[in-house]
Amino acid sequence: MADPVIRVHDAGIRFRRNRRSRRNFKDLFASRKRRARANEFWALRGVTFDVQQGEAIGVVGRNGQGKSTLLKLVAEVILPDEGSVSVHGGVAPLIEITGGFVDDLTVRENVYLTAGLHGMSKAEITDRFDEIIEFAEIGDFLDTPYKHLSSGMKVRIAFSVISRLEEPIMLVDEVLAVGDKNFREKCYRRIEELLAGGRTLFFVSHSEKDLRRFCTRGLYLDKGALVLDGSIGDVLDRYNTDYPG
Amino acid sequence: MSAIEVVRPPRSAFARYRRSLWLLTVRDLRVRYSTSALGYIWSILDPLVMAGIYWFVFTQVFQRGVGNEPYIVFLLSALLPWMWFNGAVSDSTRAYIREAKLIRSTKIPRTIWVVRLALSKGIEFIASLPVLAAFAIFAGATLHWEAVYFLLAVVLQAALTVGVGLIVAPLVIFFRDLERATKLALRFLFYASPIIYGVTDLPQSLHLLASFNPLVGILSMYRAAFFPEQLDWLSIGIGAAVTTVILIVGILVFTRTERAVLKEI
Repeated sequence: MADPVIRVHDAGIRFRRNRRSRRNFKDLFASRKRRARANEFWALRGVTFDVQQGEAIGVVGRNGQGKSTLLKLVAEVILPDEGSVSVHGGVAPLIEITGGFVDDLTVRENVYLTAGLHGMSKAEITDRFDEIIEFAEIGDFLDTPYKHLSSGMKVRIAFSVISRLEEPIMLVDEVLAVGDKNFREKCYRRIEELLAGGRTLFFVSHSEKDLRRFCTRGLYLDKGALVLDGSIGDVLDRYNTDYPG
Repeated sequence: MSAIEVVRPPRSAFARYRRSLWLLTVRDLRVRYSTSALGYIWSILDPLVMAGIYWFVFTQVFQRGVGNEPYIVFLLSALLPWMWFNGAVSDSTRAYIREAKLIRSTKIPRTIWVVRLALSKGIEFIASLPVLAAFAIFAGATLHWEAVYFLLAVVLQAALTVGVGLIVAPLVIFFRDLERATKLALRFLFYASPIIYGVTDLPQSLHLLASFNPLVGILSMYRAAFFPEQLDWLSIGIGAAVTTVILIVGILVFTRTERAVLKEI
């Protein structure tokens, strides 16, 4: 068997409970012991799994059980406090997809910027530029400042760029909840195409229908622990038994 | 449909770092020029107005006992580098906060958020040099061979700016008060550094103490291009050592706090 593309070993991450209560300047001079562990909690702990190339994984769990945190760990935009997360190969993160876009720049400039920051060369972007614009259906707005786009258009162009990154691993958070029905269906078809092309998918959703549509394997998170790692059918059944209705 | 085996030229981490850095720097410059009518003028107007004020106060109002002739060149040769340091450090207090969305969604080596500030302000500094040259010609200042120290000064200042930024940027996330404290410290540092006066104007008793401010040595090198007597090897030596320490501390602080910062933003 080939080496896994994602290897999560005994990963754990903790957060402070009261994010609002900022530490003040005095703490700077206080000893390290002051950092009380009492107001911290483990968002995830002892999570271990491997993902092979081409697998489509759905992450299931109630709100606040660590799904998005797990996704961010795999995207390596946050780092685990214990254990390790290693990802081989590039990641196309469909998390906060509009994050890199700059209001004052045009759509064209934004496409080059965002794709570039995700590691695409200028030539590669130029090659795919028409494809990206066509998919987003905003050909008339190429030189419009990004801030003047409607929120639907913003998401469309962002999805279009990230989904063309040609990275072997795709991470999808519930970004697709926005946008009209037609475009959502288009995005889903795009994801299916990418899956057929051998991409690895990591999908977080509350929609059972979507999970069953894309995923073959499921991870069930509850109270920060990985409760079940099995086929998506088994995982969803277990989830429905635990939380009926 | 393109298959998974997209052959992508293997790129070193360094090349990627450089490219991201460049993209972000160009982005900032683009934003500046697309949103403000005066664009480049702003980056020279600020030091010009300040230089004008100091020139007026110290040559027209008070009988100036400090600095060399022509005073405007003396002033600008330290004020322009100061604007670089000042701008980059005060921006670094917002380095993470301003880019929070991008940091949460894109995996880019995190030091970029600080380094790019030093770089873009450094580019602005270089872009403002023609102003200094214009005044030097206009006021009839002579350029000496000591101008070669300019390069060393830029290197040292870049290291210092990045080092301070690496300390300030993450700590501001935990201690918001630091944002204002930094502004205050910068204002203090402006008068504690030889900008409106020269290193030779310092009382002898303060000379050694002042040398621990790395800016003293750095500014003395910039000034040496027009005023060779300002070159002060004691403060350059001590300043270089202090800069190294600051950079090392910066890298330590930055790596130690990286986890916590990513959770916080």
